Amino acid sequence: MEIKKLDAIFNPRSIAIIGASRDEKSVGHAILRNLTVGCVFKCKYCRPFKGRIYPINPNADEILGVKCYAKLGDVADEIDLAVIAVPAKIVPAIMKECAKKKVKAAIIISAGFAELGREGKKLQDAVVKISKAAKIPLVGPNCLGIIRPSASMNASFAPSTPPQGNIAFISQSGALADSIIDWAIEESYGFSTVISYGNHAGLDVHDFMEWLGNDNETKSIALYIEGIDDGRKFMEIAKKVSRIKPVVVLKAGKTQTGKNAVSSHTGSLAGSYEVYEAVFRQSGLVIADTVEELFDIAKALAEQQPCRENAVAIVTNGGGCGVLCADKCTEFGVNVVELKQSTINKLDKSGKMHPAYSRRNPLDIIGDALPERYEAAINILLAEDYIRGLIVIQTLQAMTDSIEDAKIVIEANKKFPSKPIVCTYMGGRFSKESIELLKEHKIPDYNDLSKSAKAMQALVLRGEYLKKIDKNKS
Amino acid sequence: MKNLSFIETKKILKKYKMPYPPSELAKSELEARKIADKIGYPVVLKIDSPDIVHKSDVGGVIADIKSGEDAAAAYLKIIKNAGKIKNARINGIIVQKMERGTAVIVGMKRDAQFGPALMFGLGGIFVEIMKDVSFRIAPIDKNEALEMIKEVKGYEILKGARGSEKANIDAIADIILKLSKLAIKEKNIMEIDFNPVIVNKKTAKIVDARMMIKKWK
Repeated sequence: MEIKKLDAIFNPRSIAIIGASRDEKSVGHAILRNLTVGCVFKCKYCRPFKGRIYPINPNADEILGVKCYAKLGDVADEIDLAVIAVPAKIVPAIMKECAKKKVKAAIIISAGFAELGREGKKLQDAVVKISKAAKIPLVGPNCLGIIRPSASMNASFAPSTPPQGNIAFISQSGALADSIIDWAIEESYGFSTVISYGNHAGLDVHDFMEWLGNDNETKSIALYIEGIDDGRKFMEIAKKVSRIKPVVVLKAGKTQTGKNAVSSHTGSLAGSYEVYEAVFRQSGLVIADTVEELFDIAKALAEQQPCRENAVAIVTNGGGCGVLCADKCTEFGVNVVELKQSTINKLDKSGKMHPAYSRRNPLDIIGDALPERYEAAINILLAEDYIRGLIVIQTLQAMTDSIEDAKIVIEANKKFPSKPIVCTYMGGRFSKESIELLKEHKIPDYNDLSKSAKAMQALVLRGEYLKKIDKNKS
Repeated sequence: MKNLSFIETKKILKKYKMPYPPSELAKSELEARKIADKIGYPVVLKIDSPDIVHKSDVGGVIADIKSGEDAAAAYLKIIKNAGKIKNARINGIIVQKMERGTAVIVGMKRDAQFGPALMFGLGGIFVEIMKDVSFRIAPIDKNEALEMIKEVKGYEILKGARGSEKANIDAIADIILKLSKLAIKEKNIMEIDFNPVIVNKKTAKIVDARMMIKKWK
């Protein structure tokens, strides 16, 4: 697939919705609503599509205030993207119309294809044959659709639209994508693109990955995978893309064991997940264990620079929290580096430290720390060459000025852009505002110390991977 | 799937210049003695049968044989033990030079989606109980082979932890690399176990190899 051809899917100027319906409970209606209003469940991120929209419905003059056309051929304008939500059995006929109209790309939302078995597969093959002959890149069938917040496009029947951001999410499950969108709105995780690729009869996960590799809106790619058909192709593209930008993957089916009864030793140990894991590692992908971890890591990799050496410092105003975080770091292979005497001298000389501050990493600056103490500690640590990444922990105590502390982190991140920072501002209601501030400024904040350690691990692994690539090049 | 015989397996090992100890198939106790004399003691005798996979479980392996007399006796004993297994076809008894060192396992499984997956682990409990193994998809380069070895927790033992002899890591990587080439070329071989590969300070040798091919249609 020529990669440029996919532009029509992600940045179309005109969209036809074939099967746009008046029935508010139908998929065809939800898609039209998502495109015209911006989403079904309203939120502040919903924006109507700015391009031209052509609902196709032979029985309606207009839906949601948009003029309808009886058939695709009646539209005089060029169509970049056709979104198809009609019963499966008439999809081949619709695809022929798309070919005739020379649409540039198509998404088939409709279900009732290969997922149903042999008959469905036949129908799917018929559709693919038509789209291939007409060179129309095809998403689906049996998928949720595509959302591109940066293009104000929600060409899906998802419940809502997530915030715009730098993570691209490619999901084999439409239902999971649905829930992620709802969650992302609440937690303000921003997406450049959300792709549900369903039966991948035309375009497959590697095609999307390749396009996103060259997409300026996308800083990291999150994959949810159930199975891969073209394994060698996947590896080839994954290796290529992971050199350009970080890719995080979550694979379902970890506990599934091999089916072969008679098998070699290797055979019985090489279950499908073990092989996938090898593939991901070898291709430079970061492996996530849970849905939450997938996005926690994708966010850190999208928003912060990789950690170029495995040497991290922790600043905290709670001693126990620092130790807990250091424990997790060690467990994940993140090196909580020993502070040099010269660094401690600088901290002493700053005149800002509490007499009982820890003088070691994790750097406990004591519970009564005011912003100026955070400022001195953070800046002294980040200015050291041997410290390459920083975890900032804040526990909310009576004298803590959470907002000011957040501002200090934001400033330090600007001043030392090559050194990643992740935060855990522990708390709930009264930490909310400062956490929002961090998020707005693309400083990843996690509600748990273990998650911060995990995010830092991903940044360290990314740094090591890039170093390995550079080494192999030279 | 079908297991390749000792002779067929040896042929493939030779083709890819895989290191294995001197070993030959004996069809009589006299032959066993002659081969052992030629190879030099100590030797190990092992059953070669397509119907016996776990050789030592059925008394199909006798190790550390130090004389011709013992070799002949071991031959007869193994034949007798194997006779207890109903309908087991016996190709003969393998006479092999004894290797000393740490046991590791190197293997391959052809995955339907990704192609040949290579495996490395330390022998015995490390593989069987801890499942302490690493995988890569072939083809790989030397660096990746070394990475595979260093990735397992048992690597410390190969490095010579707690007074154990330091193993020749390079020699293991070399076997993995050769297996990678073999896997890419020999497309009809579906699974391979080199179990064990015995590694010491100087060498790594494939002491037992099992190859499985697709059954003909």
